[in-house]
Amino acid sequence: MTYDPNVPANGKELYSPARPKEKKWSNQPTPIVQAKSVTGSSLVVVISIMCFLACLTAGAVYLINQSAAAWTDDIASEVTVQIGVDRNGNMDDKLSKVAFFLTNQSGISGVRPLPEEESAVLLEPWLGKSADLKELPVPRLIAVELDRNNPPELEKLRESLKTNFPNTTLDDHRRWQSQIQTVTRSMALGGLAVLILVGFATTGIIVSATRSAMSSNRDIVEVLHFVGATDRFIAREFERHFLALGIRSGLVGAGGAAAIFIFMPFFMRLLGGSNMTSAEIRRLLGTAALDWPGFILLGIVVIVIAALCMLTTRYGVYRILNSQHH
Amino acid sequence: MIRLENVALRYGRGPEILRDVNFHLKPGSLHFLTGPSGAGKTSLLRLLFMSTQPTRGLIHLFGQNVTRITPSRRADLRRRIGIVFQDFRLLDHLTTWENVALPLRVTGKKPGDYQEDVTDLLQWVGLGERMYALSPVLSGGEKQRAAIARAVIGKPELLLADEPTGNVDPQMARRLLRLFIELNRLGTSVIIATHDHQLMQQFQAPRLELHDGRIHQVGG
Repeated sequence: MTYDPNVPANGKELYSPARPKEKKWSNQPTPIVQAKSVTGSSLVVVISIMCFLACLTAGAVYLINQSAAAWTDDIASEVTVQIGVDRNGNMDDKLSKVAFFLTNQSGISGVRPLPEEESAVLLEPWLGKSADLKELPVPRLIAVELDRNNPPELEKLRESLKTNFPNTTLDDHRRWQSQIQTVTRSMALGGLAVLILVGFATTGIIVSATRSAMSSNRDIVEVLHFVGATDRFIAREFERHFLALGIRSGLVGAGGAAAIFIFMPFFMRLLGGSNMTSAEIRRLLGTAALDWPGFILLGIVVIVIAALCMLTTRYGVYRILNSQHH
Repeated sequence: MIRLENVALRYGRGPEILRDVNFHLKPGSLHFLTGPSGAGKTSLLRLLFMSTQPTRGLIHLFGQNVTRITPSRRADLRRRIGIVFQDFRLLDHLTTWENVALPLRVTGKKPGDYQEDVTDLLQWVGLGERMYALSPVLSGGEKQRAAIARAVIGKPELLLADEPTGNVDPQMARRLLRLFIELNRLGTSVIIATHDHQLMQQFQAPRLELHDGRIHQVGG
């Protein structure tokens, strides 16, 4: 095959004497270390997956924390008064009396006796729809909303209720609050563990990729040393590619995770989940959709992954060059 | 400028390539380094360029002992040295212009600051028409001229050239040698490793002759 300077080889112009001189500086100079020799497409895929997993974990932990905060907030501003079953008395009458008593207490901003149908809905997950609640000894409930600015002394209220209406109890949900906190704390710790694992895995992959990039560019590194390049300059030539890789992969991964959060209810329906399933997810995760601070969190994950890629490469290149110097 | 004291070099467990090498070159000198093939000319240049360490002895460059030197200090010293390799060592994916500009690029200078210098030098070595060609399409002689241009673009204080005229015709060889002599007149110390006796006769300069791993100074 003969060389013809006017015919591009492999799609790349090997020789272009016609390139206008004055346009040369409008273009970036050719990178000394080529991107394709450093970050292959498989590496992009792997780092994208890592970032996707990290974003998914961070987003899920964020959602759970948000819902838990909302739950504990709701729970803290509400108490429930439970009226025990009295087979001989009129439960509705007793319910009204207790509600009236509570309305007249200070520090209470709202009292709402729960009708029997609503109590039945609450018991549905355990007893099902078909159970006839009227046949069962089901206690009646009153939701009491507390005045947050002037909350009542719950112990006094509890005593006063017991004195005036035996067989009634006041539940301030403290037990639930502490359980929710325990669950969310465990989930946050689990999420953190997953994030740390993803971080370690990403670091390991980048270390190995840096080693292979340095090895495949050994001649270039040698020439750079000969023309007086410092280790810092050489490291920068490699780390710029890994930073670009981190940003590109990070955006792909975060985009994928964001799509999951946005379309989660739709996916659940596609996978055959009933309305009950989406209702359960809503109960667990609120709306199951990220708000803008949640999306900022995904952005932070992208920045962390990109920085991790860049700094790991810098450290890796320094280590390899140091071992060559000695 | 360059001082070697009892320098010896062996690769691995092999025989000594260089032994008891002692010489002192003053700033602004020009020397031919000669000797039969395998005498150790390239190895001596590698020692002077700090790409290998002597097995024993001391090497002083620019008044500094370079047998124990930090990587950053070595990079600083290398910026004061230009080297022409026998095998050119051009980067295949860069154009001739970019290869020649590389020593200036690694110092962090902006391309606009050295654009004219690089272009003028390439014109001078006859590569004005091949500035934007990638090195794989250059002929042996063109590669050699590009390698020489890269070595001298930074106006080095010391120029080391390993067979710099091996791949060019006699007329171009004389022209390139005139470039080295011109640089030498401007204050650059030059060491040219060569077999070319005709060239050495044309340009009378002191010689460092390597025989059996030992060096002998002739002339000067």
